[in-house]
Amino acid sequence: MKRMSKGLLCSLLAATLLAGCGNGNSGSNNGNAGSTSGNDGSSGTAKSVTLKMFIAQPRFKEHYDKYIADFVAKEKADKNIDVSVQLEMPTADNASQILKTRLASNDAPDIFAIHAVNEIPSYYKAGYLEDLSDQPFAGKLLDSVKPSVTTTDGKVVALPLETLSWGYLYNKTIFTEHGLTPPTTLTEMKAVVEKLKAANVTPFVLSYKESWIPQLVLPLAVGSMVKTKNPDFVAQMNKDEGSFSEMKSAIFDVFDLINENGTAKATEVGGDDGAAAFAAGKGAMWLQGPWYAETILKSNPDLDFGVAPLPVSDDPNATLINLSASTSLAVSPTSKNKEVALDFLNYVLDDQASNAFFQALKFNPVATIHTYESYPWINDATAYVKEGKSVQDPAIPQAVKDEVGKGLQAYYAGQLSQDDVVKALDKAWKSYNKVNK
Amino acid sequence: MPVKSYKRIASLIAFVAPAFLFYALFLLIPTLGGMFYSFTDWNGLNPNYSFIGLGNFIEALREDPDFVNSLLFTLKYVLFMVVLQNGFALILAVFIESKVRTKGFFRTIFFMPNMISTIISAFMWTFVFSQVLPQIAEKTAFKFLDQLWIGDPQVSFFSIIIVSLWNGVGYMMIIYLAALQGVPQSLKEAALIDGATPLQTFRSVTLPMITHAVTICFFLTLNGAFKVFEVVYGLTGGGPGRSTQVITMNIYEEAFSNNFRYGYASAKSVILFVIILIFTFIQIGVMKRKEVEA
Repeated sequence: MKRMSKGLLCSLLAATLLAGCGNGNSGSNNGNAGSTSGNDGSSGTAKSVTLKMFIAQPRFKEHYDKYIADFVAKEKADKNIDVSVQLEMPTADNASQILKTRLASNDAPDIFAIHAVNEIPSYYKAGYLEDLSDQPFAGKLLDSVKPSVTTTDGKVVALPLETLSWGYLYNKTIFTEHGLTPPTTLTEMKAVVEKLKAANVTPFVLSYKESWIPQLVLPLAVGSMVKTKNPDFVAQMNKDEGSFSEMKSAIFDVFDLINENGTAKATEVGGDDGAAAFAAGKGAMWLQGPWYAETILKSNPDLDFGVAPLPVSDDPNATLINLSASTSLAVSPTSKNKEVALDFLNYVLDDQASNAFFQALKFNPVATIHTYESYPWINDATAYVKEGKSVQDPAIPQAVKDEVGKGLQAYYAGQLSQDDVVKALDKAWKSYNKVNK
Repeated sequence: MPVKSYKRIASLIAFVAPAFLFYALFLLIPTLGGMFYSFTDWNGLNPNYSFIGLGNFIEALREDPDFVNSLLFTLKYVLFMVVLQNGFALILAVFIESKVRTKGFFRTIFFMPNMISTIISAFMWTFVFSQVLPQIAEKTAFKFLDQLWIGDPQVSFFSIIIVSLWNGVGYMMIIYLAALQGVPQSLKEAALIDGATPLQTFRSVTLPMITHAVTICFFLTLNGAFKVFEVVYGLTGGGPGRSTQVITMNIYEEAFSNNFRYGYASAKSVILFVIILIFTFIQIGVMKRKEVEA
């Protein structure tokens, strides 16, 4: 009897679990059915539409919720459509995995966020991005921002939210104390380093524990060379013709200079420790972008720091700020509610509402309509950009960026020579070409 | 009779089915799926992919020095771990077993690191290696403590071993303790009367009697050491460069960061699976033969 009841209990448990799954499925199916039937409804009554969004920025949930509520109200007033939005905000770590699974299983969200430079090429190739070139928002984008969301065949496929303009960070207080200004050539940089050393200030904070930090020198060096000496470098590499040996001096001259004059134990210092060291004034400069501003200010709210372009050679025209975009919104071509999805994207760059939204999120201006006052370090970078001292982030495959991070770590630790690193990079780009042909 | 056996099978299925269902759903089917993808060039995103036969396997073993290096590094780690983890665990178990009064206390103390998740203990030790030890060196005369514990490729291997041992020895110790308690007192007394020294007793009486525990512990450490990930990830991240990259990390990197070559990464996982399978079979086969019954 006892055994019997146990067996019953077990099967009951299994049954309820399965039933639970079943219910969930049928529920979501109903939801879909509801939204499609809503689309077909006659024009007299209010249409109802469910819009699915996928934006991996949970830290901004409140801002998005508020903005979406405004959008829903506007859509109801303008077009008499009842929009209900399902906003999904996974953490950034596993977001791209979830999104890929969704896309691969034909369950694409109507609007989703991707990384502009890293993800647009492969997503566009797989056919997961709608062409947005003729949307009104595309005309409002700043010229410095637009290229990063444009595909190689000239289509705008995403709306950039977060954009970056970066070089290296420098401690303005230390620089003014010693009467220094950000150098424009490598020779000037050496002079700055000598002066700082003479005054017993460590010139650079080094933080190479995470491989993406030494990696930063690559986009800067390649960007400068692409703008000056080797305009076809990326195209050649994509055709298996170029080699990183052309970039060797641009990468290693400045990297060696930084390493020789940096803080100790670099391979044990991560990004956050580096930010703390920089905030505490343990070094005058740090090879890092302004995306660490919040962390730096958290450990020293009074720190006065700026962004400057990193010199890679003695050509002052090759000393450039790097422009790129990260989080961007895209629309799925399979979306059943494309019209409403496009309305939302245009609303993100709405003439009235957008300004406050971007300011609240602390993003940089991306469109001509953004007129709010931004942070001093962003103004620094913008000043360089206005002088024409900027370059679009070169389209280096992520695999190569990962490889260079590892390579430069090993180079710093003395395990690889410059030629080994160059060889590894060439190989990584070749295998990228092979995989993505 | 047939009715009864039918009933037995039915009850067996009723009990096993729920567990087996979940096992199949979340382990068996994905495993088979992974093996399937190891013959393709799928990139994890594109709905179209093609079969390339054994191409992935050949590339992994022939043209991928990073993979082979990570494999060798893992083998070195496995060797150190299997020997040291079992050695320390057995020594601790024997010492604790001989302390009648404080047995419970020491058992708890040594088992405790095992209750902390591996990744957390790795982060804790990162702090110890990069902050605490240099501070100690500064305050005392132990100058040798002030060095790159996790940033120097020569030293970081041993740092990884230290943390793995700290974390893993306790669990093996518990198994050995249980086995030691199962050794009949009469045999030990007989050996004592025959004039055996404690060392002789241990070697000729205790050790043969606990071989079954040795088999289990070797099996667990061998398996675990091959699949090591969190300790290395938390301590060095495989760096500097790839000098401490273990095989699981190489697979992870291939699938989720480099070129998103899921197919290729699956092939590497299959290779790892086969290696573990072979090693385990040999180990179990050899050690089973040595086990004795009381």
